[in-house]
This record gives sequence, structure tokens and C-alpha cells, in this order.
Amino acid sequence: MNPPTPRSAPASVSPRREFLGRLGGGLGSVALAQLLGVDQVLGGDTAPAVGRPTGIPLAHHRPRVRRVIQLFMNGGASQMDLFDYKPELFRRAGEKFDPGAGQHVEAPTSEPGRILKPQFEFRQHGQCGRWVSNLLPHLATCVDDLAFFMAMASRTNVHGPASYLMNTGFLLPGFPSFGSWVSYALGRLTDNLPTFVVLPDTRGLPYNQRGNFSSGFLAVQHQGTVINMGGPTPIADLRPPDSARFITPAASRDGLALLQQFNRTHLGENPGDSRLDARIQAYELAARMQLSAPEVLDLQGETEATRNLYGLNAPVTEDFGRRCLLARRLVERGVRFVQVWSGAGGPTNNWDNHANIGKELPPMCAATDQPIAALLKDLQARGLLEDTLVLWNTEFGRMPFSQSGEGRDHNGGTFVGWMAGAGVRGGVAYGESDPWSWKAGHNVTTNYDFHATVLHLLGLDHGRLIFRHNGADRRLTDVHGEVVREVLA
Amino acid sequence: MTKLFGALLLATLPLGAASSGAAASPDARLFEDTVRPVLEQRCYDCHSHRADKIKGGLALDSRRGWSLGGDHGPAVIPGEPDRSLLIRAIRRQDPDRQMPPEHALTPAEVAALETWVQRGAPDPREPATAPKSVSGTNLWWALQPLVQPAVPAGPGQPIDAFIAARLQAQGLTPTPTADRRTLARRIYFDLLGLPPTPEELDRFLKDSSPTAYEDLVQRLLDSPRHGERSARHWMDAVHFAETHGHDQDRVRENAWPYRDYLINSFNADKPYDRFVQEQVAGDALFPDDPQAAVALGLLAAGPWDESTLRDIREDTLDREIGRYIDRDDMVTTVMQTFTSTTVQCARCHDHKFDPISQSDYYALQAVFAGVGRGNRRYGPDGATQRQRTELTRRLAAVEQRDPAVLFAPAALKTVRDWESQQTTNLVWQVVRPDVFVSVAGATLTRQPDDSFLASGPQGSTDTYTFTATSTLERLTAVRLEVLADDSLPQHGPGREPNGNLHLSEFQLLAFPPGATNAQRLELTHPSADFNQSGWTIAHTLDGKDATAWGIYPQVGQAHEAVFELREGLKLPAGTRLTFVLRQLHGGHCIGRPRLSVTDAEPPARAEVKPAEIRQLLATPDSQRSQEQRVTLARYVLRQDLTAQLTALPPAALVYAGAGDFEPDGSHKPSPKPRPVHLLRRGEITKPEETAQPGALGCVSALPSRFTLADSQNEATRRVALARWLTERDNPLTWRSIVNRVWQQHFGRGLVDTPNDFGRMGGTPSHPELLDWLAVWFRDEAHGSLKQLHRLIVTSATYRRAATYAVSPGEPAKAGTTPLPENFRTASAVDADDRLLWRRAPIRLEAEEIRDAVLQMSGRLQLRMGGPSDRMFDLQPGIHVTPKVDYNKFALDSDAGSRRSVYRFLFRTLPDPFMDALDCPAGDQLTPVRNASVTVQQALALWNNAFIARQAEHLAARLAREETQLEGQVRRAFELTLCRPPAEPEQRDFVNYAREHGLANLARLLFNSNEFMFLN
Repeated sequence: MNPPTPRSAPASVSPRREFLGRLGGGLGSVALAQLLGVDQVLGGDTAPAVGRPTGIPLAHHRPRVRRVIQLFMNGGASQMDLFDYKPELFRRAGEKFDPGAGQHVEAPTSEPGRILKPQFEFRQHGQCGRWVSNLLPHLATCVDDLAFFMAMASRTNVHGPASYLMNTGFLLPGFPSFGSWVSYALGRLTDNLPTFVVLPDTRGLPYNQRGNFSSGFLAVQHQGTVINMGGPTPIADLRPPDSARFITPAASRDGLALLQQFNRTHLGENPGDSRLDARIQAYELAARMQLSAPEVLDLQGETEATRNLYGLNAPVTEDFGRRCLLARRLVERGVRFVQVWSGAGGPTNNWDNHANIGKELPPMCAATDQPIAALLKDLQARGLLEDTLVLWNTEFGRMPFSQSGEGRDHNGGTFVGWMAGAGVRGGVAYGESDPWSWKAGHNVTTNYDFHATVLHLLGLDHGRLIFRHNGADRRLTDVHGEVVREVLA
Repeated sequence: MTKLFGALLLATLPLGAASSGAAASPDARLFEDTVRPVLEQRCYDCHSHRADKIKGGLALDSRRGWSLGGDHGPAVIPGEPDRSLLIRAIRRQDPDRQMPPEHALTPAEVAALETWVQRGAPDPREPATAPKSVSGTNLWWALQPLVQPAVPAGPGQPIDAFIAARLQAQGLTPTPTADRRTLARRIYFDLLGLPPTPEELDRFLKDSSPTAYEDLVQRLLDSPRHGERSARHWMDAVHFAETHGHDQDRVRENAWPYRDYLINSFNADKPYDRFVQEQVAGDALFPDDPQAAVALGLLAAGPWDESTLRDIREDTLDREIGRYIDRDDMVTTVMQTFTSTTVQCARCHDHKFDPISQSDYYALQAVFAGVGRGNRRYGPDGATQRQRTELTRRLAAVEQRDPAVLFAPAALKTVRDWESQQTTNLVWQVVRPDVFVSVAGATLTRQPDDSFLASGPQGSTDTYTFTATSTLERLTAVRLEVLADDSLPQHGPGREPNGNLHLSEFQLLAFPPGATNAQRLELTHPSADFNQSGWTIAHTLDGKDATAWGIYPQVGQAHEAVFELREGLKLPAGTRLTFVLRQLHGGHCIGRPRLSVTDAEPPARAEVKPAEIRQLLATPDSQRSQEQRVTLARYVLRQDLTAQLTALPPAALVYAGAGDFEPDGSHKPSPKPRPVHLLRRGEITKPEETAQPGALGCVSALPSRFTLADSQNEATRRVALARWLTERDNPLTWRSIVNRVWQQHFGRGLVDTPNDFGRMGGTPSHPELLDWLAVWFRDEAHGSLKQLHRLIVTSATYRRAATYAVSPGEPAKAGTTPLPENFRTASAVDADDRLLWRRAPIRLEAEEIRDAVLQMSGRLQLRMGGPSDRMFDLQPGIHVTPKVDYNKFALDSDAGSRRSVYRFLFRTLPDPFMDALDCPAGDQLTPVRNASVTVQQALALWNNAFIARQAEHLAARLAREETQLEGQVRRAFELTLCRPPAEPEQRDFVNYAREHGLANLARLLFNSNEFMFLN
């Protein structure tokens, strides 16, 4: 049973730790570690059983992956202009789109136009012979390490619900995001940094803004911590505001000591309440985070070669490259889940290329291609790919026919995603779309399947990772999802 | 008649009773003896409602299950084993479908099922999830009829007697009554959400009356602060927020009246049944009460997917899916909030655990089939509201060509009168501008007819200005024609690829000879021969750049718009006229405009009439067909009714859910309820029968499907549901609300899952007490929530201390707190305090913390109501969603010092400080808040600018109110913790304040556990 945390629960702070309540408010160090969500299982050999009613969130089986970097292309990256090579589109360019068999053709925001061929050259790359267009020359050198999902399908053709679906498994707001589920399930690897970090495009937040990285009904500790590299204060509330001059370092240091002493006295008078103890611990952890966070954000310590690898020396790649490099530093220091966004919400400066694919898509690719390839190579070189997973996702694909001549409308029918790293069989392409990349053909991958597969790599059975909320057993994969075993090493 | 009916009943009885075995038919025996065991043992693990996941969508635990079948269609075709997929699968005929997958059935088992199907597949089973027993003693507790149990013998009021009985049975001794100081802090926070001020506390401590506590409770219940506190709880439960919450997270400017409605309702102690009815069908049940219309804010409280429901094409599957999802939110909100049932779990299949069928679920969807969310007019008074309702009704009837309205005697007269005025023939004089400019740099080329053809780059926004010397002596109206042209997309008249245009604002300036400043001429009565839905010509005069006139889908043809001058203007010879066409919506520029002027005398209306109407006017009435009369009557009456509506005293707007609301683009009211189908597996592509409005079959005292006189009037459906919810005999409603109120005072309900009284929810810790309270609340308190609060908080149970007496001691070391013996004993029996042997401490909620800090710092302003306080900087975003920056808010501004219930709630960007303290974002129904303890929360309290600033204010206050440091520290404790400091604390904090100042001292106290928790 996993009821929401009651305000008065004597010994359970997080719903996932509700079972502690039945231990009679135990205050040992294990209990405290649980309260604050420390990683308890990974690295050990045991794989504790997870009972459905309690949903005690420790790994279900031996994990291949300990941390995840998800690269999210906001807006709906055009699959047939990047990876899903379709000679049929070149052959029939300019014709009316007719998939035959009386199938109804519609587009969400426009009147379907004529078949629009990609304006980019495709070549096969690597041992696996994967087709990649010339928009992604750097990534093309990595294809033997990537497992492609060539026929992903969404339930909607609209940004908001589609982004929620890819991020939370539901079309509506208010459900826990992918990173939050992972935090909830596995806890943290370090005391010094948040468990789930989000690096939004410096031009703005994506569609749904923070809804995409909210913890929903899970405790707020599982929500994505936003590091805004474009702002004056990258992490909110990490230190006192400049306006509060009275808060000197000495006042903070002495104050924290007095506060903790005061809280301990209070605890002595209010026995049997581990939340009070947990708050005392939280302030100590907060102090440690204040020290660690600035170090991880400082990229100056990286070598010139590394900085150039990520493209920090070129304006076009600098922003995304900086965030990819930061993502590596974060996972290196024990952050469990990092999400890096390319593209803000709104009609431009993202992957939502309605008006002109030829003009709008190349800059998005140029900004991300080198940094992503650099990230893969850097992780590999440092041995981090041994237990790190890199994901490339978008909320849906685009239409094989044109919108107003040169652009493409949204298409939830089929799109492409890939993964690389620990536990992944490189060079695989799973699934296939129809001859026009209009709808997923066979071996379709839903968001549920994709999430189930990643959870599997993390040692989690998606069907048993459950949280009871308002009477329903909620999962990241709703009531769906199959692990795609074809991409597992 | 009675006799016949009785006979029919008897005749049908054996079928229904077959499964009970007593009168089992041969068919039933065949099933029970040879079929059911096989299905249960070999198939149910994957293909029944007991499976974790029903594989392939096929459930074999009911007739409905196999006849609907799974992904591949019906599993059994009665009488045709060879065509039945089930039989083919167990025979392992097809290589890709062999069941069960691992161990094949024995030949005898296969034969049994074959025989069964051959004989027509008789299946006497009840649907798996139909009420397992809707009557009798096995009935699930929440569905049992409400009967008030006898109060156990024992001390104190009934609540205490029920509690004591259980404690005694478990051998538990309750903690003593809390001291008065603790009690005062507790009751102030619980009833008001604010701590007592030192003065209020002092008054209570010095009150020696035996009813001092009861008197205090009464004072607090009478305080307007109490309504604010209760409203916030309700806003959690119904997931209220003030933006849409998707990719187009638009601000709802008019959501706040619902919040004020809640505050006022709680303060007025509105009877609960009326409160429920107003929020579901207040518009129809109480048409004269403007506030009852505001109550419908409930139905629109949740998120709304603007892209899907307004912006994408109307004919897409995505739009239709969006409507079902939108209604699902309404069904879920109403049923979870009022009846604590999880009806939404029956969307794709019958409820797996509770007796709620998929048919029940879609019956509830049908209740809301005519409801949309949007801005609704209400007030300002009952009479006006009634008139508006009537005019709106007639307008809808006109749109629907209702002859009773179109040809009513009064209507006929209106049409005749109008026609008699349409005699003047206007003479338009085309303007010949000599100066014409496109701000965005489009090329405007004069055409032979003095129109101007636009070419070259289309600006993302543009303004055309045309200036000409007037040839008239007097000006009464101007005309703008937008003409078609073969060079334009879709032949125009707009430049957008779809041929549309958007004119945001139309302005007219006059420069009399010699004048240096332009005179802006006031335009009125805009009319056009065609208006795009939601993009009417009136938008060109509303002063808003964001709204505009459009003509889609009537592209490829000319259109015209006419504007009258409010006052006719004398034009001295040589006066220059400048026409300004502001086109700011993005693209959508006009392709070929032409301008004209007239000096026709008023009152002749210069309105543009559609060509069809102009022709009709030229036809004598006697020669008009019936269809033409309808056309003319609709045209005239539509104008007349609209004018009457416009002339009513101005209404206020509330964002609410109902049948009528202001259209917003393609999101517009539906003239009648939309058809709702039962969707197999919840999939839009698998619609089944049309759903009839109704509610839950498992509440057996009430009819589960509504009998409606006028089912096409959507409001009647909501009225029926509102009545169903508030029936005396609906046990769910009354149990649900008393449980919620109980939770507010103990941090947890008697049922700890307030939105789920089903089998997956909690069971009541004190079922008799819950029922006693529910009946008492319904029958004796007559739905008065204040009486219920009073009853609970004046119980001895509520007044218990958090712990047994503990002697103040040394600071505890983390993790090694010794538990007192009696505490340990009680914990061993009931660690969760389900039996209420103590009052467990509660962590303050985000609003309590923020409001208390403001009160302590002396900054709290108690002004009530009105638009919400935007505690952020708001700038236009790159698309719909505005740009919100909480760091750029002036902390000391007026908007920053009211109670938190008045904060503007932005869904996709909630206030990070409140968020860290578990304040819900309004995305999900939140009947119970999390009360987390996190590192982020510690950082927020320690470093957030709000706390830092209030610490400075509190320091300044202390310095004002006390002169000596010792006194200042004492006062700080009294303000923040409701107690004076103990001796060692006094010493330590004085030393600290001496070194680092009072503001740092205040910061510490705001961060202390003692402040954060309520004993």
C-alpha cells in the first residue's frame, strides 16, 4: 500500500518509505538513509524482491546501468531528414500523398501537402551500414555504438501531450517524470549533488516548461533540479540572495551550528519522530551541496582538448556543448539522471520545423551534432559508458508530405530515438516504418516500451515500479510496455 | 398490469439466479462443471481481471469478456467452435497463436470447451466486476446505507466515546491534554492557517472562564481567515490553478472568482449539499444567484489542453481524443471529490476492484457531454443574469432555426420593423490615397480600381497606412473592402497561404488643413459581411493587438467591413484622412485592400449586409420562400438579440465549465450535448453504444441512469447528477466530506485515502465513528461544516498532547533519541497512531509557513478577494505561454504581502519556494499533501529571498518594539514559536544576535523544527 504521505505520519517522510512506520519510528542510520533516499542496493550482489503492495523501491534485478543522460530534442525532430532514409520520398517527390487502401490522411495543424523529399544527402555509415543524412556528420561516426528505434509511435500529434507522454508516460500534467521515477526507485549516488538534474536550453524552457521534469505526486525530492546555465544563478537557493547583505558567511556558519543544536534539543523533547531528525540531516547535506555544486559547474578545469571536442570554441556549438560537458561532469560525480534539452518551447529555435525544413533543421543539427558525438566519445574514453546510458529522444516525428510547401507538420505516427552505452547492443536498428515514414510499420516502440527498456537496464521491472495515487496504482509505463530485448547487449 | 409485470419478473428470474446453483439449468451445470474449472485454472492468470495485465485485452471471466474479445476480436462465436479464436488457440491450430503458451490443455479439456461452444457457449456468470454483492452483509463498507450507530458508553462527547472504546480494547492509555499554549497554537493554525499573535495568545491564557477554549473556537470559526484556510484545502482537492498547464500554458484571467466563491461559501457556512449542487449545476438550479454560476469554476478547475482543443484542426482524431480526456477530468474531479470513488479506473474496462462498470463511467462522461471550459458571464445581479440566460437561450434557438422562436409574433414584428428601416441606399465614394505605406516593406501597387495589391515580402507583422485628401464635406462612415486577386494564395483576399487575413486594429485619423496634430476619429458599429468564427470585426476596434478580424474559410472572394463614426464629422476642404490597418497577429496580411467613404445621413445604418440578405430585401415578402424567411429572420433576430445582450448591465467573467461560454477560436459551445460512446479499451477507434447520462450502479438506493425530460439540454444532465450526489441516501457523499474535515484536524482521515473508499483504498480506522459523524452532519448539523469543525476540535481526542510528559533535557544526538517507556509501549501497539492515543505532530503546509512568516514580520495584509497576486514578473513569451520570472518580483510590493491563498497559481512554473514545501501545482487532485523533508527544502528555507527579506522585516519590528537585546530575543520567540525562550536558549540566541544581528536570528527561527511542526 502506498498512500500519499499523511501530514502526521510519525515515521514516514516519503511514501516509498512508508514501511518504516511499521518499525515503530526506528531512528537508526539505515532508517535515516532511507528517509533521505540514499542508494541502498547498487554495487551489492543481492537483488531484493519487491512486493507489489509496498513497492519498496530497490532494484528488482542486477542493473547494467547506474546513470542516465537523456538528450531531448524539443519540437519533434524530423526522422526522415535525419535517420529514416526513404527512397520512395525521393522517387515520388511532389506527388499527392496517397498511402493507398483508402487510408485517411490528416495533419494536425494544416492541410496535407505534396510529398516532400528530404533536401539532404543520405549515406550508410559504420560497420552496421546505418543511414544518416549529411546533417549529422559527427554522429554518423558513432553509429556502431548506437541502438536505433526506427519505428517509435506516439498517441498524439500535439506538443503538450506528446511531451508529457515521452517524459511521464501520460498525456496529462501531474505525473512523475522519467528522472523522478528513477530517483524514487533507486535513490541517490552522492550526498553532494541532486539526483535528477535538468539542463534546459538557455533560450528557454521546453513545451510544458517544468511540467516535463516535475515529480508529480511523488515527493518533491525526486523532482528535476534545474541548472540554468544562461542565468545569473544557475541553481536556485544554493546561496543567499545578493540582496541579503546581512547574511555573512560567519553568520551562516554560526547560525547553522546554533540551529542544529536548537533542533536537537527540540528533538529530545519530541521523541519518536524521525522527520525531525531528517530535517537536521537535510541541513548538513545542504551545506555539502553548497560546496560541491560550484565545483561541478566550473568548466575551466577541463583541458583545452576536451573543451574543443565539445565545440566550446565555436559559437554554434558552444551552448549545447557546454551542457553536454556539464552532463558528463554531473554523472561523473554521482548524479543519477541528467536531462539535456535542445530547443525552447514556441514556434522557432527548436525542432518544430513547420515552415521550412531546409532552413530550420540544419542549425539545430549543427548546434547538437558535434557535442553529442563528443559526449559519447568522452564518456567512452573515461570508462563511464560502462555504467552510463545515453538516450536521444524527441516527442514525435514529422510528416512525409509538406506543410505550406517547405515545412513538415507533426507526426506521432512514426519517429526515431536511439540509445547508447551500458547494456546496449550497438549497431542495431529495431523496427521499421512504412515506405514513406508516415506510420510505424513493424516492431513498433511506444514510449512505454522505451521507458520499460531503460528501466530494465537500470535493474527495474517497469511493471513492478508502482506508486498508489488517488486509488490507482501508477507506473511510468501506465498499463503498457514491453522491454525491447533486441537492443540489449 | 401489476399482475402481468409480476409474471414477467418471475419468468426472467431463473436466468438471473442460475449461477447461484440452487436452480441450475443443464447449461449452467455444463458450464460450472466442465468449463469454468478449465478457464479458471488454465486461462485466468493472463485473461481475467485478476491478472496483473489482461493479456491481449482478452478477459475470459465474463460473457462480455469473450464476446467482445481482445485485440483480435471476439474469442468465442457461440455454436461455431471452428471459427472461435479461443478454440483455435487451445487446439494450437495457428502457429502464431497457441494457448496456453507453455503447457497445452489436455485433450479432455479441449473437448470440454469445444462442446461448450458447440452448444452455444452458455455462460451464467455475472460480469466479473459487477457489484460482487450490492446488497446484504457483504456489501463493501462505503456502499452500505448510512445508519447511525449507538454511541458507546464512555466519557466526553460522542467522538471521545468512540475513540476511547478502541483504545481501551487495545489497552492503550492516551496522552494527557495538551497545555493551553500548545493548544492555542494548534487550533489557530488548524482553523485559520495562522499562529496566534502574542496578544491573542495572552488573551486566551488569561481567560479563566470554563468555556475559554470553546469561546476561542467560536471566535476562530467566525473569523474570515477561516474561510481562506478552508478554501485552500478545497483548492488542493479540486486541483485549482490559473493557467492551462500544457504547452500553451495560457493565463486564465478569470479563474479567481471561483476562489473567492469558496472563501465566501466557507465563511457563510453554506450547507454542504447546496455547496455541492452549486458546483455541479449552480447555473441551472439557482439561476437567480450569480454566485451559483461562479461555483461552476469547479468543473474548469483542472488543466486544459489548448493546443488540442482549440488550435489544431477540428476534424482530427486528436481533437476527439482531447474531448474525451477533457471530460474525464471533469468526471474524475466531481466523483473523487464528492464521492471518494475512483470511477476513472473504469475508462478502458470495468473497474478491476470496485463495482463500477465501464458503462457507469461513460454514463458520467455523458453527463458532461455538453460542457466546455471558458469564460462565462455572470451577474451583476439576479435579474440581469436571468435576462441574459433567456436572451442567450433565444439566440441559440435562432441559430438552431427553431420556428417557435423565429416566427413568434414579437419576432415577426422585430423583423418587419427592421426591414422598414432598410430603405436608404448608401453611396460610397472610393478613396484615392496619394500616400500609402507598408511598415514591413511590402510593395503596395495601385490598381485601376484604386485598390492596392500587396506583393513582395510579407512581414511577420505589418501596418498599412493610406492617406488621401477628402472629397466630401461630411463623413459618417468608412468602408474597407478586401478584394480577391489571382496573384494571392487561394486568390486571397489575405496573403497567408490559406488565403486568410487578420486585421488587428482599424484606425482613422483626420488632419484638418493647417493642423499639426491628427484627430483620432472614434469609430463604432463595426460590421462585416463575414466573420471567421472567433475572429469578428468587433476585434478591430477593441484596442487589443492580440485579437483580429478574419474571413477563413471564405477565401478566394471579396469581403467588406464598414465602420461608422460615432459623430458625423464636418470636413473643411483640404482635410487629409489617414486610414491605419494594423495587422499584428503574425503573417495574415491583407492582399488587396480598398477604402471608401460616405456622407449618408444617420440613422441609416451603414452596416454591411451579406449578399444573400441584400437580395432578400429586394424580394417582396409575398414572393419569399419559407427557407428565405428563415434566413431573414435569423439574420435580423441574431442582430437584435446580440444588441440586447450587449445592452445589459456589464457582466463579470468567471472561468468555468458549462454549456455556454465565450467562444475562443474553434473552441466553442456545442448547441447540444455531443454524443459520447462507450469506448472499448478506452480507444477512440473502437466506439460502441451511445452512453446515456447517469451515475454509479453500485449506489443501490438511487437510480443509476437518469430519466430526463429534456436530455438535449445539457444542464438537465448536470442537475440530475447534482441531485444524485446530494441525496440523503447517497452514503458516499456524506462519508466523504466528514472524512475530509477530520483529516484537516488530525493530518489524516479516519480513512487515510480520502479520494478512494474502494477496495484499493484504506479502510476506516473507526468505521462506527465515521458513520456516526456522517449521519450527525447530514441530519443534525444540516450540512454545517462549521458545526462539524466545532464538534471535532472541542473533543478531548483533538486536545491530546503529542507525547506523554517528557522532561526537558540535553540536546539529543542524531539517531539515538531514547524513547520514553510509555511511548515505546504505545508505539509497539500502534506506531502510526491510527487509534489516536496522541495527536501526532503535523508539518506546516507551504501556505501556513509563508503566511505565518508574513504575520511575524508584521507585513501580512488581510485584504480579501479579487484578482490573484502575481508574485513574479510576467512578460510575453515566444508563443502563448508567458515568460515568468520569480526572481524579478519586488518582495516588498503590495502583491507580496497578502495571504498565500491569493497567490496566482501558474501550472507549468509553480513558485519554487512553495513548490519545495510541497504546495501542489494544480495538475492532480491532491486530497492529501506530501509533507516531505528534503535537501532542496532546507536550501529554500535557508537561502530563499523571501525568508531573507522577512527576516529583515522581523528584525526591524523587534527593534521597534523592544529596546534591549534580551527583550528583542524574548519577543522573537513569542512571535515565531508562541513561547518565551528557556534560560539556555535566551543566552545562546542573545549571544548570536549580538554578534550577527537580529535579522540572522530571525532567519534561524524561521528555519527551526519547532516552527515547522505543529504539536
